[in-house]
Amino acid sequence: MEPAMGMGLVALMGAAATVAGCSEDLESDIGSQSNPNSQVQLAAQVGYPHRIFNKAISGEPPSNAMYCAVGAGVAMMLLNSMSASPLLAIAVGAFVAALLNGVFSTTAYMGRNASQTRFNQYVYLDVLRNHVLGIMGHAYVTTFCIVGLSYVMWNQNLIGHPFPFPVIAMIWGLAVGAIGSSTGDVHYGAEREFQDFKFGAGLNAADSGNITRYAEAGLRSSIDNAWFCSKFGGPVTGIAFGMTVFLDNWRSTAFQGWTAVVAGTIIVILIIIYNRYLELYARKNYGPYPEYSGDVEA
Amino acid sequence: MSEPAETANQIDTKGVVVGLVGIYIAGISGIPYLAFLAGIGAIFATKMGADAVRRVCSYGIGTGVPSIGMLALGMGVIAAMFGLAIGKMYNAVFIGPIVGLVLALVIGFVVGSLTNRIIKLNIPVMERCLTEIAGAGVLVLTGFSVMVAGSMDFAVIVEKVITTGYIAPIFILGALGILHPFNANLGPDETQDRTLVHSYSCGAITMAIGGVCSIATIDPIAAILSIVIAAAIWYVNFMGFVRLVQRDAGAGYVGTGLLPPGAM
Amino acid sequence: MIDIITMLATHWISIIGIVIGGICIAVGVHFVPVGGAPAAMAQATGIGTGTVQLAAGSGLTGLLAAGYMYKTLSAAGAVGISEVILICATGAVGAMIMMTTTMIVGNWVYIYGVGVPPASAKVEYDPITKNSQAPYVAPGTVGQGMPTVCFVSGTIGGLLGGLGGSLVYCMLMWVNGDPAISSIFAIGVFLVNAVLPSYNIQGTIEGFHDPKFKRVPKAIVACFIASLLCGIIAVMIPGTAMFGGI
Repeated sequence: MEPAMGMGLVALMGAAATVAGCSEDLESDIGSQSNPNSQVQLAAQVGYPHRIFNKAISGEPPSNAMYCAVGAGVAMMLLNSMSASPLLAIAVGAFVAALLNGVFSTTAYMGRNASQTRFNQYVYLDVLRNHVLGIMGHAYVTTFCIVGLSYVMWNQNLIGHPFPFPVIAMIWGLAVGAIGSSTGDVHYGAEREFQDFKFGAGLNAADSGNITRYAEAGLRSSIDNAWFCSKFGGPVTGIAFGMTVFLDNWRSTAFQGWTAVVAGTIIVILIIIYNRYLELYARKNYGPYPEYSGDVEA
Repeated sequence: MSEPAETANQIDTKGVVVGLVGIYIAGISGIPYLAFLAGIGAIFATKMGADAVRRVCSYGIGTGVPSIGMLALGMGVIAAMFGLAIGKMYNAVFIGPIVGLVLALVIGFVVGSLTNRIIKLNIPVMERCLTEIAGAGVLVLTGFSVMVAGSMDFAVIVEKVITTGYIAPIFILGALGILHPFNANLGPDETQDRTLVHSYSCGAITMAIGGVCSIATIDPIAAILSIVIAAAIWYVNFMGFVRLVQRDAGAGYVGTGLLPPGAM
Repeated sequence: MIDIITMLATHWISIIGIVIGGICIAVGVHFVPVGGAPAAMAQATGIGTGTVQLAAGSGLTGLLAAGYMYKTLSAAGAVGISEVILICATGAVGAMIMMTTTMIVGNWVYIYGVGVPPASAKVEYDPITKNSQAPYVAPGTVGQGMPTVCFVSGTIGGLLGGLGGSLVYCMLMWVNGDPAISSIFAIGVFLVNAVLPSYNIQGTIEGFHDPKFKRVPKAIVACFIASLLCGIIAVMIPGTAMFGGI
């Protein structure tokens, strides 16, 4: 395979990964999945019932691994038994995965809210109806992109990875879930979920459970989380996943053997130095907290 | 958490017996139209795993429910492949699932003991529950693999399930079938019957996807039969779940509305 | 019984390799700075996710890189010890890249999105940079973001996780030569060796400077036993090529 074709494929995979990362984060923000969900769960228990979508399927890595593995499994079946074109197979596979997402989200919302009846937390059917299709749509985009990039990685005429196609998709699904859970969810959890608290600090332990329930017009609805988080959290997650896919595949395509290892190590060291610079920037520009009353010098 | 309606021993017995019977009928007969029985056995094993997760997580193990599901399938895949490989090596394929189950129970017990004795979590039911979870994991994996491959022969399973990669959706759907029912119903008003009905519906989803994958590996008509049966099981149990949610939420199950009185 | 004994006797090196790989994964999980649910609300230092999830994500990304390198090298000739070292280094670097991009983007969100400087409440001065930490901790929280010591600790955790996963994969390929069986088995061993340390950590850890890090020996013993068991089982599973003669 010529180097230009290899580079082109790596760039395509990086672009697909960026889109997948963004839509994965927005999907988990609409449904309030994973770690910020602990505050949604806590809210009812401390006396703040709400109309937020409580989607507790599992963490993001296993659930995204499931969508991608199922999408790739169905695509593989179509490729093998009906000789379907890859694009059609991937589209149908992603559709089946989105349907699965809808079922799991519905049961999670109904189950969690029914188990909090004693705290006066209702099961709102209109919340369910309004949100599930939006969540499914985002899951479709995520699954399509990740199954697509796994196909490019697996196909013998393209990159030709030895692992089976659904296994590659499952691993990338795990990775996008881990990345989305670590990056974009913080923007949702610390900013959007507690929007009426002052900017510039983390959540004070005394305010746990006091999520924002009244919003732009009346009661807050989670569907607007996509609007808010798509301004920062979503794209940033996309960049993170895109960088991971691109850098890792670029260094193994452009260099061979030990040179690739050295190239990767240099990338890691550069990122560590950049982080130090970022930390100094934040400390200098934000300064210490005025409430601090101890003896340690700033 | 309410008092259980079915005891742990009853659920375990049903899970192991129905699981093994389903796997053996589907595997030994070799008739593709009976492959769905392995899937039904695996659904009962999913219920066994979900109940064990329910019992152990009520102690607050500090790390969350999803890790247990991944552990279950991690142990399950190791034991299942070993059991089936031993069956093939000694030309006695019928011992495969039993060997896998025994090994999984041993691994589960060892890991449970390590967690209590060395890591000192000191949870009383840990050994028993991890043993059950490992057993559920191996039966789920063996059951759905036999359903997709149509036979218990390790060489056939490697060719049709592992090399093609269909083991990946089976693996992750099996894990989610064991961990999702309790995770989705987590809360003080969780009831055992609702969680277990939910576990049937999660197992049925896995069976349906396994059926879709088996269109490529065994007879398409047999695969469509599996998909139809799985869809029926899913529909009945999903509607049962919704009915139980209505029962448990009582007046709180509303079509639309503002926050409850006193909270606005 | 002859078959099992022969396979055990021929592949005892693989058992040792799998045990070493499992222990690397277990120790690596302790290095990764995980803040759990509180970190997602900028209430605690570290990455806002669960221990198993992040360790699995980064380790398996390393496994993908190692799998591709194994195929490239085996096309050129037999895979011996020096090739295994190269494959493990590739896997380690792949996992490190994923871990560092995740952490740097996480810090972007904390610094630009939430508006907090990275700080840890468990130490007064950062062990690596000697910067003071306590004045920069928001009131009512136990730190936020990822100061340099957590970042470096996470990089080491990614390195060990990727190294361990790739080593397990290479040892399995020596035994059965089938990438499909080996990858699934490696994922299973990886998950078992990642969940046991997470029980040890009990949810959150900040890195090697955290007092909880002293619990590492318990995890090493537990994962040694678990990996030994898995290794003995793994070397008795032959690949399809060996079934040809039966």
